[in-house]
Amino acid sequence: MSGFRLTADKRTSLADAAGYVTDGATVALGGGLCARLPMALVRELVRAGRRGLRVVGSAHSMDVDLLVAVGAVEVCEESYVGFEQDLGLAPAFRRGAESGTLNVRESSCVTVLTQLRAAEMGLPFLPVRGIKGTDLFALHPEWGMVTCPFTGEELVAVPALAPDVALLHAPFADAAGNLHLDQPYVLDERFAHAAKAVIATVDRVVATGEVVAAGVTVPAHLVAAVAEVPFGAHPSSCYPGYAYDRAHLAEYVRASVAGGEALEAYVDRFVRVGEDAYREKVAPERLAAWSKSDDEWKGLFL
Amino acid sequence: MTAAGTRETTVTWSFDEWFVVALARTIADGEVVFHGFASPCAQVAMHVARRTHAPGSLLIEGATYAVNPSPAFVPPTSNDLSLHRDAVYRMRFEEFFDAACRGDVDRMFLSGGQIDGYGNTNVTAIGGLPRPKIKLGGGGGGANISATIGALTVWTTRHRGGRTLVARTDFLTDLGHMTPAGSRASLGYTGGGPQWLVTDLGIFDFEDGHARLVATYPDVTLADVERATGFDLRVASDLGVVPGPTPAEIAAVRAADPLGVRRSEFGPDDLARRFGDAG
Repeated sequence: MSGFRLTADKRTSLADAAGYVTDGATVALGGGLCARLPMALVRELVRAGRRGLRVVGSAHSMDVDLLVAVGAVEVCEESYVGFEQDLGLAPAFRRGAESGTLNVRESSCVTVLTQLRAAEMGLPFLPVRGIKGTDLFALHPEWGMVTCPFTGEELVAVPALAPDVALLHAPFADAAGNLHLDQPYVLDERFAHAAKAVIATVDRVVATGEVVAAGVTVPAHLVAAVAEVPFGAHPSSCYPGYAYDRAHLAEYVRASVAGGEALEAYVDRFVRVGEDAYREKVAPERLAAWSKSDDEWKGLFL
Repeated sequence: MTAAGTRETTVTWSFDEWFVVALARTIADGEVVFHGFASPCAQVAMHVARRTHAPGSLLIEGATYAVNPSPAFVPPTSNDLSLHRDAVYRMRFEEFFDAACRGDVDRMFLSGGQIDGYGNTNVTAIGGLPRPKIKLGGGGGGANISATIGALTVWTTRHRGGRTLVARTDFLTDLGHMTPAGSRASLGYTGGGPQWLVTDLGIFDFEDGHARLVATYPDVTLADVERATGFDLRVASDLGVVPGPTPAEIAAVRAADPLGVRRSEFGPDDLARRFGDAG
């Protein structure tokens, strides 16, 4: 029976959307660095008290750090977790790795990409370039070696990766679940094709015609559920709607660096209150000002 | 004032500006160049190169994968819409990595918490895994594409502290010329590997796969470099001084980076290093 999702109306609540993630699931988080992260879904996972998650993907920041901070993550296989030179190392991720409470099985961008492609193509594995000679290989007993039957070249072989759930945030979608995304797509398209369940939050649910006019990036037949959550990527950006909220990211990083009571206070104040109350507190409408002028845009990064 | 009575322009610059120019000069005109996450100096350097000596290059802008954009400013995060400005095309993630794997990307900039004499870098963990002393951000795609990209400009702004250039990295994330598992050639790697190592003290090239100091900044002595370098320090017989930036290069740095994100890579001592004088 096909894995395609043929229900006509995919709309659901944020809580029900997040409910597709069970304890111990392999979760692919969409977006990248501080852009288009599925933050509302991440906050909902925190509210639901999820445990034992395995997170996979490329470059991330607050989404992974917050999940690690509340003890939701057992294994992290991202290729990068941090706030770059913007706000520095990811504090909870770092603490988890250094204390041994977080199992870090660091991967690399092309490796994850290749594993997703194998799943998309219905293949059990694919070969990948590089890796031999690096210390990443020893972190992954599930990787192997293969000899090319035509050239005799020895290549690293990586198994297919079909995440249990892909969590994406998009600017808009229709009720059927056709998503429109703007570039950079990061790995969102690949996740949508490889994952067993694709869950999306969107800033707006719109008529099908509007999604078609802008371009359907992820078709409805790949999407299991859509929840309308305005500013659902906040504090990361979701252009053209809103730039990222540097002040809020910095506040989170300070709380995560401090850990203990300060971190608990952040989670109480911004996560446990529920998504509607969160949005009222952070008042994200001012982040739309980026489009007024280059000076306004620059000002958001100061 | 010269004898002719004309007034020469005062050209002074700060160390961070010179460092970015040094990185920019490693790009040859016509190259296809990329920078990864968390590399503000490399990011600005690529735009400086395209605005000065390398106008024919193709620049792939970090995590946005925009091709030849002309951003009004460089933001502190490498995945931002502001970086797309004027780009006619934006690659997909997989499009960029495929190009890098098959040999169509000529140069990439790579840094590291630790760098050894063969240009291997550690962007994963000081103290190694599973119990690191410091868990760093992670290598992104470096473990794959350091094998296949044409040439690497390796760089660090933390040479002076003595803990970055080491005899052996605690974890090997990105591939230099010789790893414990063998040389690039024996591993079947087609990319050229590290070509330059640019630091806050000077510039190294790679001779027979090993870093070799070829130039220092005028306020740096060879003893400074010896003190700070944990690997076997090879020195070129014609060791020189890093050539100063031209006024056009300095202007390009300032125009490309009005927010000064490059400065986040330097401590206050390095930012206080100033050069140049009135004509």
